[in-house]
Amino acid sequence: RRGLGVAVGPPSTRQLREAEEAALVFQYAGKAARRKDRVFVWGFSYSGALGVPSFVRPDAGWKKPRRIQPTPYRLETEEKISSAACGYGFTLLASTTRDITKVWGMGLNKDSQLGFQRSRRDQTKGYEYVLEPSPIPLPLEKPQQTRVLQVSCGRAHSLVLTDSEGVFTMGNNSYGQCGRKVVEDEIYSGSHLIHQLKEFDSRVVQVVCGQDHSLFRTKKGTVYACGWGADGQTGLGHYNITSVPTKLRGDIAGVNIIQVSSYGDCCLAVSDEGDVFGWGNSEYLQLASVTETTQVNVPRHLPFKIGKIKEAACAGTGNIVLTEEGNVFVWGYGILGKGPNLIETAVPEMIPPSLFGWSDFSPDIRVAHVCCGLSQFAALTNRGELFVWGKNLRGCLGTGRMEDQYFPWRVTVPGEVVDVACGVDHMVSMVRSF
Amino acid sequence: LNAALGRAPRQRVRFLPAPAPGGGGALELVAARVPVLADHPLVRGPRFRKLKIGAGHRLDVKASGVFVLGIGHGNKLLTDLYNCHLTKVYTVGGLFGKATDDFSDTGNLVEKTTFDHITREKLERILAVIQGTNQKALLMYSNIDMKTQEAYELAVKGLIRPMGKSPPIITAVRCLQFALPEFQLEVHCLHETQQYLRKMVHEIGLELKSSAVCTQVRRIRDGVFTVDDALPRTQWNLQGIQEAIQNCQLKVETELEKTL
Repeated sequence: RRGLGVAVGPPSTRQLREAEEAALVFQYAGKAARRKDRVFVWGFSYSGALGVPSFVRPDAGWKKPRRIQPTPYRLETEEKISSAACGYGFTLLASTTRDITKVWGMGLNKDSQLGFQRSRRDQTKGYEYVLEPSPIPLPLEKPQQTRVLQVSCGRAHSLVLTDSEGVFTMGNNSYGQCGRKVVEDEIYSGSHLIHQLKEFDSRVVQVVCGQDHSLFRTKKGTVYACGWGADGQTGLGHYNITSVPTKLRGDIAGVNIIQVSSYGDCCLAVSDEGDVFGWGNSEYLQLASVTETTQVNVPRHLPFKIGKIKEAACAGTGNIVLTEEGNVFVWGYGILGKGPNLIETAVPEMIPPSLFGWSDFSPDIRVAHVCCGLSQFAALTNRGELFVWGKNLRGCLGTGRMEDQYFPWRVTVPGEVVDVACGVDHMVSMVRSF
Repeated sequence: LNAALGRAPRQRVRFLPAPAPGGGGALELVAARVPVLADHPLVRGPRFRKLKIGAGHRLDVKASGVFVLGIGHGNKLLTDLYNCHLTKVYTVGGLFGKATDDFSDTGNLVEKTTFDHITREKLERILAVIQGTNQKALLMYSNIDMKTQEAYELAVKGLIRPMGKSPPIITAVRCLQFALPEFQLEVHCLHETQQYLRKMVHEIGLELKSSAVCTQVRRIRDGVFTVDDALPRTQWNLQGIQEAIQNCQLKVETELEKTL
């Protein structure tokens, strides 16, 4: 008989087992739990390019302005962002939604590269710095049917590619980079003008902005260019500016180009057979394998025997290509990623795959995508890891340190990185959560 | 050990008196080799009265596997092996659906969760992230200046390792088996404790939005010693130990020369 003051004793195994089976089962994630898509930003924030207003103007008394965000910071967006591009102090985010608002921009807007952002204080003027992702009003004919496929940003202009209404350009047009005639003494700040480009031989599938020029790649594999050409970056055979998109000839005439890339004044194009063509600035030995001249204004085939090339990317002074086997080759000038001793090379040098996590333990790691900022390189592996290297300008590498990185270094992002866009002093990445 | 034949007693030349071959009474000194009395077994006593045995890296009560011991002079080799900072390999078994207070399946139950949304792909993604963050920690704690060419060359070869004290670092993880609710991982790590591995299993469970407990921790490799070199319970006798020491001697020497 159980009375008061009788000790219970430690629970027997049977009691423990029964207690365990009777315990409630919690469910944190069901079988249909989907992975969420997120956007992470890092780098210099005072231009507003990161899209977090509290970094520039703290909204609470205890917060201090954050000049540099050294590690990835999550940016809340209303829609799933499918494409992002970083320019020189500004960022564009685009989503493939059918809603009216498809593109958001933040950062510098002194040349209306983010369209006209009506100021709330003065309805006639626009904002010069946009601190939060703000919708960009595009003059679409069918706003609820057209989808935005891709965005691209240059120094002071931006391009938006849609699936059925051609390319929209906005921003600075002093060199014709927006594809319209140069107007003398045009004031770009607070301008409402967004130009639409439709006259190409077939549908445009990729748009790329260099520093002051624009490149368009069509479905047929041809490349059009407009903008500043003093370094030959328009590839049209002259060194003048072009204000109407014109087809490129030279070694790429008749070749089916599957990818174009540019960020500074040098351009690279990859054909479907794995060849790479280059034109533009060659002061940093980017095209020194074919010519001694420092400006090349006609696309030239670069005869590299490194395998079939899948993707190419140009930084300001260096170039990087990715081959079908998943190897990464760099050449040019600057911090190329092979230690502090390799400063310049005209011939592509391979970066050892062990730096990207390849080892006997995990031999199936390959680099899947490469991207360039002005003096940084980024590589994405097939496991969703992001590696960066190059000059760490104002913390843009996202490693958490301020020093330059001479070989590929992992960026810790809480999720699987799907895409990355690099700018001059900031970077944006699209990440899927686990 | 004491029953084994010891060292032969030392011999010494002494001049002993012996009766002369000639007439009786006169003693003559004759040189003869005689064993030294001090070396006599009854004087010396047993050769070994106690043995110095040192232990290598710690192994928990709940864990099992390779445990390195050093005997006598081997204790000095143990310190050298410790300073080599070689990786250890464990097989860690886990169970989804439970969370306990000491992260193993014998602890007090804290929570039960569902786990049918977990797939092998999700688990491998989490393992890749763990490897990535630990790789960064590896480079940071090795105290090498990242800006030098030799740092780059070591990083290419994968030889960067912390050569001093550091928090536990996992150099590689791989999923060996996955059968809900159980799974098994192979973990290569440095400077860790078994409880840290159990905590890692618990954290993997949390990351997968469920919970996990660790059922088994087994060390299969400690530096140069693998399970094949280890002596099972039946061979814990003098002969087994002697053979094992001889087999491992060469390996240990080459490893020490390579690293130090």
